[in-house]
Amino acid sequence: MKNFLEHTGIEPGRLHFSWISSAESTKFVDVVKKITHEVKMLDPANKRYVKTEPKVD
Amino acid sequence: MKLIKIDQQNWNTGIEKAKSAYRVFGPVKEKNDYEFKVLGTNEMPDLNFRNTRLSPKSIIYPQSQVMFTYSIDETKDDCRIMKEVENVTSPMAIIGVRPCDALSFPIVRRNFDTPEYQDTYWIKAYEATTFVGLACNSACDTCFCTSAGTGPFGEKGLDVLIIKDGDDFYTKIITPKGEAFAESAGWGKKEQTDITAKIKELKTAAEASVSSTVSTDKLKNKTILDLYDAPFWEEEAFACINCGTCTYVCPTCWCFDVQDETHGKSGIRMRNWDSCMFPLFTHHASGHNPRNNKHERVRQRFMHKLKYYVDKYDSGIQCVGCGRCIRLCPVNIDIRKICDKMNNFDTESCKCEATSS
Amino acid sequence: MSKPNPRLIKMKEYTEKIREIAKRLLNDGIVDMVIGFRKGTLPMMNQPHIATCTDSADELMWDSNCGLNLANYVTDRKEKIGIVAKGCDSRNLVTHVIENKIKRDQLYIIGIPCSGMIDHHKITAMFDTDITSVKESGESITISGNDFSKKLIKQDVLCENCAACTHRNPVEYDELVADLVEEQTDVDPYESVTEIESMDAEEKWNYFEDLISPCIRCYACRNACPLCYCPTCFVDESTPQWVGKSQDPIDVRTFHLLRAFHCAGRCTDCGACERVCPMGIKIREFTKKLNKDCLELYGWEAGLSLDERPPLDTFKTDDPDEFIK
Repeated sequence: MKNFLEHTGIEPGRLHFSWISSAESTKFVDVVKKITHEVKMLDPANKRYVKTEPKVD
Repeated sequence: MKLIKIDQQNWNTGIEKAKSAYRVFGPVKEKNDYEFKVLGTNEMPDLNFRNTRLSPKSIIYPQSQVMFTYSIDETKDDCRIMKEVENVTSPMAIIGVRPCDALSFPIVRRNFDTPEYQDTYWIKAYEATTFVGLACNSACDTCFCTSAGTGPFGEKGLDVLIIKDGDDFYTKIITPKGEAFAESAGWGKKEQTDITAKIKELKTAAEASVSSTVSTDKLKNKTILDLYDAPFWEEEAFACINCGTCTYVCPTCWCFDVQDETHGKSGIRMRNWDSCMFPLFTHHASGHNPRNNKHERVRQRFMHKLKYYVDKYDSGIQCVGCGRCIRLCPVNIDIRKICDKMNNFDTESCKCEATSS
Repeated sequence: MSKPNPRLIKMKEYTEKIREIAKRLLNDGIVDMVIGFRKGTLPMMNQPHIATCTDSADELMWDSNCGLNLANYVTDRKEKIGIVAKGCDSRNLVTHVIENKIKRDQLYIIGIPCSGMIDHHKITAMFDTDITSVKESGESITISGNDFSKKLIKQDVLCENCAACTHRNPVEYDELVADLVEEQTDVDPYESVTEIESMDAEEKWNYFEDLISPCIRCYACRNACPLCYCPTCFVDESTPQWVGKSQDPIDVRTFHLLRAFHCAGRCTDCGACERVCPMGIKIREFTKKLNKDCLELYGWEAGLSLDERPPLDTFKTDDPDEFIK
């Protein structure tokens, strides 16, 4: 899935996978912090990725 | 009705001039095929095409069209009030409409402009448009316009008809709208009748080149239920994959689906082309679907085009013979074959048993 | 470009054999119907056909325009079905059996060793006027119109997936109509994927945006695909609605992206989707990438054996996992 999305032009760094059990709360916090940081480093997910109102001419 | 002759130079300058008064559309080569597009500055309609892949119906009636906008912001005065969108902002002109496609507009008008109901979006766009047609000097193998109520030099639905002969454009001005277009293009007011004979010659040759014909003379007299219960539907429908190709490329298909899409505090109500080929087309809110089976949907399409419309409007079939569905159907379901089958169907002589689908 | 098969494939022989087998199966009551192709009304077009009696079995035929995937027509059927299947079709039949859409003992697979289908989009685009006839003769194809006639090499006008196909022979069959053909070895089905992989994210995005911009949401690609058999496709769901139905580019992209992903690990690259697209979109660019990844990550190609489960269906301890932390 990751390869495929990146192949179609979604930048690496937007999709992350992690195995976290409900008992691993520290790991959860770390991962969320890391992902938030990495995604913030990328450009805002502009109107290219995020649909607002349908763009129909 | 007036006949004038324009040369290549005057044609080019005329089209360019017309752009100041109209949004001008014309056939343009896209990556895979020709399409009708808005012509930018110095962009000319490419008349070396046979026909566009998609029909010009999308200019009057776009595939996705916003009809209303609304806000659901409780703090605003206009909360939950549907506001109509103005879909026509300027007069439009379509250059290079083939006679088959031109005929489709009066056909579709019967549906969208009735005494009881008017589709204001369609009507506004239609009335704001001038149709400048291009006659076909020779037909394609899949054209059967002469069986569908028009012909390669047909004038129904057109305001102007251009007959191209090398670098000469013989121009027939048919309606006052056409007159207005010719004037804004600065084309000569001088009538030229000496080209009448040449046009007739070209027309005869063009009509002779239409090799594909379809019999429609007995459709009106057939009983609806006889055709409906005919045994050939299941076999003919077998190959169909129920995509929307035939309905989307057809210039006379008109069905649509209305939907609201809201994002945050505002939204739009839009319509999108829909297709009777899709299984969910007749899915009722109750969960029942009267055309749950493929052969029922396929039958419905051909009955609509070749029988119901014929009976309702007494104006021929709901098909203009453009051949797009024949060329583009992925499984080669051919309306000509089915029309002949329907026209010649005789309840007395039935063939091979129908299979269950 | 691979070497052409030394043994000339005679389409006429294939046609006669298919008819003979079909009539035998129907007369002996081994099947209720035989699904194959019959001659279409246009050059290079054939129509999927269902034969239930000897007369209609005589309409069955075979040539290099039989590119549609007939496995599409057997989903959830209850009858005993004879079906004509080339390499890719047979792999989709295997997938159907594995996914419980048909039982193996319902099928009598008439195997077609295939030398490739010709690309009618490509050929039509080569000529300005109507093509009135297309005749095959061994390695060459003669295209004729009202005022032209051109001989082409069949190998040069094959569909892209056929040109690089490594499974031309049916993998599962009850009877063959001819001897097996040589499988191609020196071919790269993923050439374009490698090219795209070398682009940066912006270029990739624009490439795919451009690719699907002509899409009219007709769903021919989905409907022609034997893998797409969901009772209600995700794009048709309404409570809740996942994807918009309009021409909004994000909605169009979502449809293609997600549909391809639903075919991950199952697609046999039969090319039916590209063949049926009325807008000529090279829609296989999505599934080709997934197929390449399945091969590289799991060593998997779909539909080769009735006994193996696909990788996205199972878990093995040596599954690649560097992507997940």
